[in-house]
Amino acid sequence: MKTIRNRKGYDLPISGEPSQDVAASIRPGRVAALPERIPFIKPRLQVKEGEAVQIGSILYEDKRNPAVKFLSPGGGHVTKIRFGKRRVIKEIIIDLDSQEKKIGFNPWPTSEIGAVKRSELVKSILNGGLWGLFRELPFNDYPDPDSLPSAIIVSLDSKEPFQPSPKAYLDARHDLLNDGIRVLNRLCQTVYVTTTDKYAPSQQWKNLTTHQVTGPYPAGDPGVLLYHIKKSSKDNRAWTISGQNLLLLADLMINGHYPIERTIVVAGSGTPTPQHITTRIGVPLTQIAGNSETAVTGKRYIAGGVFNGYRSRADAYLGFLETSLTILPEGDSREMFGFARPGLKKPSHSRAFLSALSTAQQPMDCGMHGELRACVNCGYCADVCAVDILPQFTLKSILAGEVEEALAHGLLDCVSCGLCTYVCPSKIDIQAQLKAAKEAYYKEIS
Amino acid sequence: MHFIQKQFDKYRKHFEPGGRLSLLYPFFDATETFFFIPGHSTQQDAHVRDSLDLKRYMSFVLVALAAPLLFGIYNTGYQSNLFSGQSTAIIPVMLRGLRLVLPIILVTYAVGFFWETMFATIRKHPISEGLLVTGMLFPLTLPPTIPLWQVAVGISFGVVIGKEIFGGTGRNILNPALTGRAFLFFAYPGNMSGDPVWVAVHQAKETVVDAMSMATPLAMAKLTGPGDSIETMLMQADYSFMKLFGGLYPGSIGATSALLCFLGAGLLILVGIASFRIILGGVIGILSAGLLLNLLAGESSPAWFGLNPVYHLVMGGAAFGIAYMATDPVSAPGMNASRWIYGFCIGALTILIRVFNPAFPEGIMLAILFMNLFSALLDYIVIKIRLNKRIPNV
Repeated sequence: MKTIRNRKGYDLPISGEPSQDVAASIRPGRVAALPERIPFIKPRLQVKEGEAVQIGSILYEDKRNPAVKFLSPGGGHVTKIRFGKRRVIKEIIIDLDSQEKKIGFNPWPTSEIGAVKRSELVKSILNGGLWGLFRELPFNDYPDPDSLPSAIIVSLDSKEPFQPSPKAYLDARHDLLNDGIRVLNRLCQTVYVTTTDKYAPSQQWKNLTTHQVTGPYPAGDPGVLLYHIKKSSKDNRAWTISGQNLLLLADLMINGHYPIERTIVVAGSGTPTPQHITTRIGVPLTQIAGNSETAVTGKRYIAGGVFNGYRSRADAYLGFLETSLTILPEGDSREMFGFARPGLKKPSHSRAFLSALSTAQQPMDCGMHGELRACVNCGYCADVCAVDILPQFTLKSILAGEVEEALAHGLLDCVSCGLCTYVCPSKIDIQAQLKAAKEAYYKEIS
Repeated sequence: MHFIQKQFDKYRKHFEPGGRLSLLYPFFDATETFFFIPGHSTQQDAHVRDSLDLKRYMSFVLVALAAPLLFGIYNTGYQSNLFSGQSTAIIPVMLRGLRLVLPIILVTYAVGFFWETMFATIRKHPISEGLLVTGMLFPLTLPPTIPLWQVAVGISFGVVIGKEIFGGTGRNILNPALTGRAFLFFAYPGNMSGDPVWVAVHQAKETVVDAMSMATPLAMAKLTGPGDSIETMLMQADYSFMKLFGGLYPGSIGATSALLCFLGAGLLILVGIASFRIILGGVIGILSAGLLLNLLAGESSPAWFGLNPVYHLVMGGAAFGIAYMATDPVSAPGMNASRWIYGFCIGALTILIRVFNPAFPEGIMLAILFMNLFSALLDYIVIKIRLNKRIPNV
C-alpha cells in the first residue's frame, strides 16, 4: 500500500459529525427516481403514469446510449411523473406495494468471474441498470461501455463532511467488496483502491487498499489521487466508483438482484441527531431527516455533500447517486457590524478571526457572509487547491473566453472540491464557473 | 439594532429599481453593508462559505494603519510647533496635528467617495471597499503643507485614472494612492518637494526658523559631500538612528515612523492579509543594494555609498511603501515566486533612485509604480514555467 501526501486543501471545521452507529429507517410508503439529478443524461421514459413496476424493471434509459438503463427502486405503481421546465423529468414517484415483486438477474458465481468475457460482464452491468454508478474522469459522465479506461479507481471513503464511513456501509461484507474488485479487474487491468486517513482501517479492507492519501480534504477524491499518480496524458481517462457503489455492483453480479439498499448519512447542525441510516434509493427526505417536528423553514436540505451536493426540498427524495443528506440553517439573517467583530465563533480558513486560535468545530450555515466583489488576486484559492490549479487565473481565462489557456491551466484536472469558492473573500462562485466551463467544453467535444 | 434595521428597510424602496433615488442604489447599499452583513445565502455550488469578506480584509489594513496615522498626527503637530517656537507638550501638539491632518483626510475621503459613487452609479455595481484603504494611504504620503485643492485633484487623479478607467477595484495595474501622489509630485513640484514643504510652520518667531534646518534626513543625506559620513551628519542634526527609527523627524504626514510601519506590516502578515514575500523581499532588496554599494565604496565615492544599509530602511518613506503600498494585492503579482522578485526589485530600485538620481531624493514611490508595470510580466513568466510542468489533461 502506497501512502501519498496531499499537502493542500482544508478540513472544514463544521460541527454535526454523525455518530458511527447505523440506525435503520422505517420502510417508506413510496420512493422516487430522479432522472434530472444524473449528470449529463437525456432520459427517455419507458413507463407511464399508472403502470405497474417491479424492483429492477426499467424506468428510463439514456437517449445518447440506450444500452444505459436506469431501473426501478421499488415494486408498485407509478403514481406521478413530475416534469419541470422544458419537459425535464424531475421525479418518477412510485407507490410501493406491501409485497414488492422483483426481477431476477443472472448471477455470476465467484469462481466464474475470472473466465467470463469482458463484454458479457459489461452487458450484465448495463442490463442491471448499474452502469451509471461508474463515473469517468475528468467530466464525471458515465463512461462509454465500449471504451477501455487507463485505470479504475475505487474510493472507499471521503473527507467531504458527512459522508458514510466504510465501517458503516461495509458492515463485514468484505468478501463482497473483494468480489467487486475482481469484477473490476476484468474490466480493466489496473484497479486502485484508495482510502484516506480519516478512519482507522479494519484489517480486511486494509489488505485491499492500494493507495492511502493522507492530508486534508479533498484527499479522498479519486481525481486528486489520479493527479498525484498519473505519469502521462494517457492516464487521464480513468473510471471511478465509490466503495459503496462497488458493493452494490458486486451484489448485482454475485447475487443476481437489483440492490436497493443504501447506507447514508443525515447530518448537519439543522438535524438534532446526526447519524448513519440504512435506507433505500429514492426515499422521501422527510423519512430520514430526523425529528419531523423540527421547523422546516429557515433550513436548507442539501442532497450530497456541502460542496458537491445540490439544494433539495423537504418534500423531495434522495437520488440514485447521493449518499448523504445535510441539513443546515439557511443563514440569511443580517449581522450588525459583522465585518468588525472579533469572530471567536466564526470559522475561517484565514487567520483574520479569533477562531484561528482554536481548532474547535463550529456550526456553519449557508450564508454568503459578504457580498460579491471583484477578484483582488489575494491568492487564497490557489493556496487550497489540491490539484495545483490557479483558480483565479483559470477563472479569468474562462471569463475572457480563452479556452486554450484555461485548459493549459489544468481546468480538466479540477475535481470540483469547492474549496476555492469556500475561501474566496470576494464571494466569487469559482466552482460553479469552472464546472460550467468544463461542461461546455465536454458538450463541444462529444 | 432593530431600530437601525427598520430605518434601512423603511427607505430601501426609494433606492430599489423604480424608486425615486434608484440611481443612488450603490450609495444606499454601501451604507447598509457598513452596518450589516447582507443576509444573502449561497445560490450555487459550495453551500458553505468562509466568514472572511472583502470588507474585513480591507479593514485590517486600516487597523494596521491606525498607529502610523496617530503617530503621524502627533509628529506633524510636533514638527510644526517645534519649528514655530510653540509649545511641544502633547495636547497642543495633538491639536495642531489634527488641525493639519484631519482636513486632508476628510477631503480625500469625500472626493474619493464622490468619484466612487459616480462610477458605481453609472456602471451599476456596488461601491467597493478599495477606497477605504486608498483614502487612508494617500494623505499619509503627502506633506502637511499641501493645499486642500491639490489634495482633491490628486485623489481624483488617483481614483479615476489610477483605478476606475481600468474597470474599478480588482482591475487596476497601478497602485491608486501612489498614482495620485505621483501626479501631484510632477504637476505641482513646488508643493511636493523641497525643504519648506515638510514642516507646517505657523506664526513663526523670526529667530527660531533661521536657527534650525527643516530639511528631511533624505535631503540632508543628498547634500553630504563625498568622503563624509551621512550618519555623523545626521547625528549633528540631532537625528540618531533611534530617532529615525521612531519617526520623529520632518517628512510626510504618516510615513516617517519605520517602527510603526513594520509593526503594522507584522500585524498584516500575522493575519495573513499582506504577503510576507513582498515585504521580506523589499527589505532584503534594500539591504542587498545598500551592502553592494558599501562594497563599491571608495575614498572619493559619493557619501551614499558608505551609508549603513539599515539607515535606508528607516529614512524616508521606504518602510511605509514596502509595508502598505507594495502589498496592494491587485497591483502586485499573484504568484509567490514573482512576489519575491517584485519585492526585491522594489527595494533595490529604491536605493538606486535615491543614490544615483539627482532629481529625486526619495525613490520608493517611483520604484513601486515601476514594478507595478512588471507585475503581469513576472506572473506570466512564473505561470508559464509552472504550467509547463503539468501533465496535460487534454
